Amino acid sequence: MAEAPPQPVLRFDGVSKQYPGGQAALRDISFAVAHGEMVFVTGHSGAGKSTLLRLIHLAERPSQGAVLFDEKHLASVRGWRVALHRRQIGVVFQDHRLLTDRSVFDNVALPLLINGSAHGEVGKRVRLVLDKVGLAGRERALPATLSSGEQQRVGIARAVVAQPTLLIADEPTGNLDPQLSAEIMQLFAALPAQGTAVLVASHDLHLIRRMRKRVLVLDHGRLADDISAADLAS
Amino acid sequence: MSVSGSRRHKPASAQRSAGSKLGPRLRAWRDLHLYGLVSSIGRMGQRPWATLLTVSVMALAVALPMGLWLVLQNVEQFSGSVTQSRDISVFLRPQVDGRRAQQLAQDIGQRAQVLSVTLRSPEQGLAELRAMSGLAAALDVLEQNPLPYLLQVSPRDDGDATAAALRDLPEVEIVQHDAQWRRRLDAWLGFGSRVVLVVALLLGAGALLVVGNTVRLDIQSRAEEVSVLRLLGATDGFVRRPFLYLGACYGLGAALLALLVLLLAARALAPPLAGLLASYGSEFVLLGPGAAGLLRFTLGVVFLGWLGAWLATGHHLHRTQV
Repeated sequence: MAEAPPQPVLRFDGVSKQYPGGQAALRDISFAVAHGEMVFVTGHSGAGKSTLLRLIHLAERPSQGAVLFDEKHLASVRGWRVALHRRQIGVVFQDHRLLTDRSVFDNVALPLLINGSAHGEVGKRVRLVLDKVGLAGRERALPATLSSGEQQRVGIARAVVAQPTLLIADEPTGNLDPQLSAEIMQLFAALPAQGTAVLVASHDLHLIRRMRKRVLVLDHGRLADDISAADLAS
Repeated sequence: MSVSGSRRHKPASAQRSAGSKLGPRLRAWRDLHLYGLVSSIGRMGQRPWATLLTVSVMALAVALPMGLWLVLQNVEQFSGSVTQSRDISVFLRPQVDGRRAQQLAQDIGQRAQVLSVTLRSPEQGLAELRAMSGLAAALDVLEQNPLPYLLQVSPRDDGDATAAALRDLPEVEIVQHDAQWRRRLDAWLGFGSRVVLVVALLLGAGALLVVGNTVRLDIQSRAEEVSVLRLLGATDGFVRRPFLYLGACYGLGAALLALLVLLLAARALAPPLAGLLASYGSEFVLLGPGAAGLLRFTLGVVFLGWLGAWLATGHHLHRTQV
């Protein structure tokens, strides 16, 4: 008997996005990401990578088609439920978007404070995650005193501290040198083993090839190719 | 390398809600509010001069109507005995003797509209005048008592009809009934209350705008933070909470400063006022707002600050809604 395919955590079903007065950013995109899967999204600048990620955490709404998260239609997620939806998704930004007047600890603790975790749990989780990203002992530091690579690690720690179902990262290594980029990618690669699906938008083809994970290729808003990890390895 | 803690497919929030109990949820709720309160105090501390300016402007805006209200309360209290009095003073002619005055008092006292009648002899009147006016030395030089018998009539109604009837008695020289004067004073006090209300509304709106504008500027300077919080899953309530505490803290500071200003003003005015009233033989003591009044005023100004912040954050969150 054939094994049932794993239930996708994320599914795009014929999704198009047209900005008012502008051209189509995405055209008829369909794909699915399974629980614990790591997927890269690549393409030239303006191919629609960022728009695709923005549709997932509801910073944008599709003009056509459906985005499903854990088989739930995101079109039905409105009002205060948007905030609840976003708590299931960790987001890593290219420019980190850390709060400059808060310490590393306070930045990483934000998602836990937002979802109402108990005080003791917050401290425990934050220290554990900072240890995992190699920033143990830097809890009291302000972001401005950290290197760009360290700031991105803080961003990753913040994105994973609440154990999201899905982590999305928009050009997370865009400002980092190759060595740091590889280290950051190793942090992402460890997440699927913990059950977190990862979707990384990047135009760094060299890095993507080295990671040997599934790749979605966007071209002028269309899904030009969907290369499996096995195909990429071969 | 493992970044996340343990293998699972549900987010922490979902896990928590599955087995949530009241105690931990209350503690989490308390932590959220503590976070909001500490954040707001931190924001005030980061800009002490701007905070002091906002609190001062707000304090002056609320101190003025509160001060006017206190003045009005004191005037009402001071004039209370006069305004409440319905008595009619009936001065008899000088040639009316004590026996006739006594009989007249009994006759008037039996009328239906009259509650009671008190007879005051010329000797009693002179003694009271000597005690109250400080003119004892001048009165001593009088060869005879010039005061007539006085009937103090307390009517059951407003006394207008009774006063008119008493004026027609042949033994009566003057009837003094201050109904019109009292009505005018009541009208002035009513007008004063309305003025205080209008001033309070206008200056309250001003205080609201001051807090709203300050919080609006604070939100604008923290637009990036608000944006990040929302992307991390913060509800509008979570984003709004520190700003609401900020507005309430502005209100609390303003209320305390306003009360300090009023206290200093009262201390400055009390000695000359006491001297003025003493010259009239009055032992009137300035009235404060009382504990309940203080509490109501403080809570009112705190609410004003909270409301200003609520309006400002609501506008911003609505405008930047994704």
